[in-house]
Amino acid sequence: MTGDPLMARTPVCITGIGVVSGAGADVRATLQTFASGRPTPSNSLPFESTVACPTFQVSADLPILPPRYSNSRSLRLTMLAVQQAMESAGIAKFDPNVRVGICIGTTVACQLNNVPFYAAYRRDPDRPMDAVVDYLHANLARAVGDLLGTSGPRMTIVNACSSGTDAIGVAASWMRAGLCDVAIAGGADELSRVALAGFWSLGVMSQQPCAPFDRDRTGLNLGEGAGIIVLETAAHALLRGKTHQFELAGFGAACDAHHLTAPHPEGRGLGAAIAAALAQADIQPRQVAFINAHGTATPDNDRAEGKVISRIFGDGVPFLSTKGFTGHTLGAAGGIEAVFTLLGLREGWVPASAGFKNQADDVPLSPTRNRTEIRGEYALSTSLAFGGNNSVVLVRRVA
Amino acid sequence: MITAPAPAEILGIGAITPLGRDLAVIAKNLAAKPPARGEMLRVADDLLSEPAIARSMRRADRFIRMAAIAALDAWNQAAPSCADIAREQIGLIVTSGLGPHCRGFKFLDGILDAGDSNALPTDFSHSVHGAAASYIAGLLDLRGPSLTATDFEIGFEQAVLLAQCWLQQGTCRRVLVGSVEELGEPMISMTKKLLAGKESIAPAEGAVFLMLAPSDVAGIATLDAATVPDKTDLLASEYPSIAPDAGATPQIAAARSTTFTPYFGHSASSSAMQLLGALLSIPVVDNATTFRTSCGKVAALHVSMT
Repeated sequence: MTGDPLMARTPVCITGIGVVSGAGADVRATLQTFASGRPTPSNSLPFESTVACPTFQVSADLPILPPRYSNSRSLRLTMLAVQQAMESAGIAKFDPNVRVGICIGTTVACQLNNVPFYAAYRRDPDRPMDAVVDYLHANLARAVGDLLGTSGPRMTIVNACSSGTDAIGVAASWMRAGLCDVAIAGGADELSRVALAGFWSLGVMSQQPCAPFDRDRTGLNLGEGAGIIVLETAAHALLRGKTHQFELAGFGAACDAHHLTAPHPEGRGLGAAIAAALAQADIQPRQVAFINAHGTATPDNDRAEGKVISRIFGDGVPFLSTKGFTGHTLGAAGGIEAVFTLLGLREGWVPASAGFKNQADDVPLSPTRNRTEIRGEYALSTSLAFGGNNSVVLVRRVA
Repeated sequence: MITAPAPAEILGIGAITPLGRDLAVIAKNLAAKPPARGEMLRVADDLLSEPAIARSMRRADRFIRMAAIAALDAWNQAAPSCADIAREQIGLIVTSGLGPHCRGFKFLDGILDAGDSNALPTDFSHSVHGAAASYIAGLLDLRGPSLTATDFEIGFEQAVLLAQCWLQQGTCRRVLVGSVEELGEPMISMTKKLLAGKESIAPAEGAVFLMLAPSDVAGIATLDAATVPDKTDLLASEYPSIAPDAGATPQIAAARSTTFTPYFGHSASSSAMQLLGALLSIPVVDNATTFRTSCGKVAALHVSMT
């Protein structure tokens, strides 16, 4: 048994989407923000910190969960997006006989990053350990599966900023292997004081609204949110009479093996990941209608990513970064931007790449400057991450 | 029960455990009396240095070192069977429950002591769960998909299951799969209170890595994962054990049910440790060629020695 690439090429249906971010509490609000072209960063933080930078926050009412789970904002963001995605898929509740995979990417939710608790613990080690108990029950995939009462494989991906994209790829792999009939996949992350201090310490944060791919970009803004898609086998969708508008046509992942925090300067791993996704879908670069780029607005990311897009796609494929609308939502970004990519194909347009004004000397291409009409079946969403991880989802509009 | 798509072959094993690093030493120690019940089981500090990778490990902490050394040993054992494999076709999956939590708390100390604007960037970059995978990929120049996942119980089974998917679907021709857990403060003190009344539980650390290949490649053993997540309470869950494989041959059915927990202790890497113990000792002690490790009712690994 040497591997069956044909099995990997079997498309997986996408039947539901849910998204919440600084760009909007659901799909409709997100599209309104995109149409307006006006991002809404906040200059105040929901926690105490001496770092002063714009952030993108979610103001929606989040679901109230059972006590064991309710202190995890990341889980509540996840559940809001899951509820939206299930509703759009026409699934009120899962049949116990249906095997449902749950794969969620995150960064913040996997660590005991509770600064107030830890500060209190340092003063009084005998204090109650409620925060630790909450943390031990906040594994996102496990908690979502428990809350939905599903049976099927579960996995929480902690691959830094590509986690949400990787989660979609893992879920598709399960489905193609016959491990589940339906999968809930994507990413979620809350705004965190620890992440804020961490990215500040690395010197990659901007004190202005971020400007991906711009000549004068100075770094990223942090955001929060969740993006979830419902994947389904064609047989299962057919069985419940659900027609699908989209397919996951390809996925690719590759590691730079270069540096803990910086991307390979020539985007070696990203290029390989894009090539793998195109090969899995059996299409040529010119068939891609647009690219939702990772575009964090850090000098290194945008330089490397711009080079790769130019090298593979030339200047004929529109691309944009939506982080000017959402900030960098870390483990959620891949899930959120997969949903944005589907929306671009569905609506037939993508917004101007928020924050971009001037062509950069070190980026060979410019992202969308205006609302741009989209024609074509395929679109890509890219993610780059700490550890040199690069992941790409390639989606297709089929109806 | 969910069954895996196709079994995988184990080509290499690497481990760093409270019983040692060298597999022969671990096997020898498994034949001796286990440590006293409830004792905290740490990896000896002198095992955390490896001259071959010393330069690359200058900034690495205990968590990363354990993972990197176990991965290196698995890689070296499997090297003859991987020589003609392009690095782009070798995947990496690392799983951990708590991740590099000691470095994470060190970063929190930096925030509290020096302020949010002055905490150390190396503490932040090394505190993310994926730090170990990044070091391993860099050391071994692994350029295929690289993934880190987290679960407090069945992360290793989940990782093996995904590796089987990748191998079957041709995503990779080899997958290096491992589990790593670190023991340190303040998590020891924090969890000690939660484990009151369960003094037999021995917190432990270590790492186990396996190099896996598709089943048409001759290996040390054949591995097949199955996971069945349920609503297990993390703090009340059973810990992994080894059992004869149901429905197997009489020889296998005669094999004893056992657990290696007294030797390797309890951690989110327990499943990987159980598998290691079984691979190293069950064929010797019971002459069994097939067995199963299970983590409570939620996951299992089926093994056939080849």
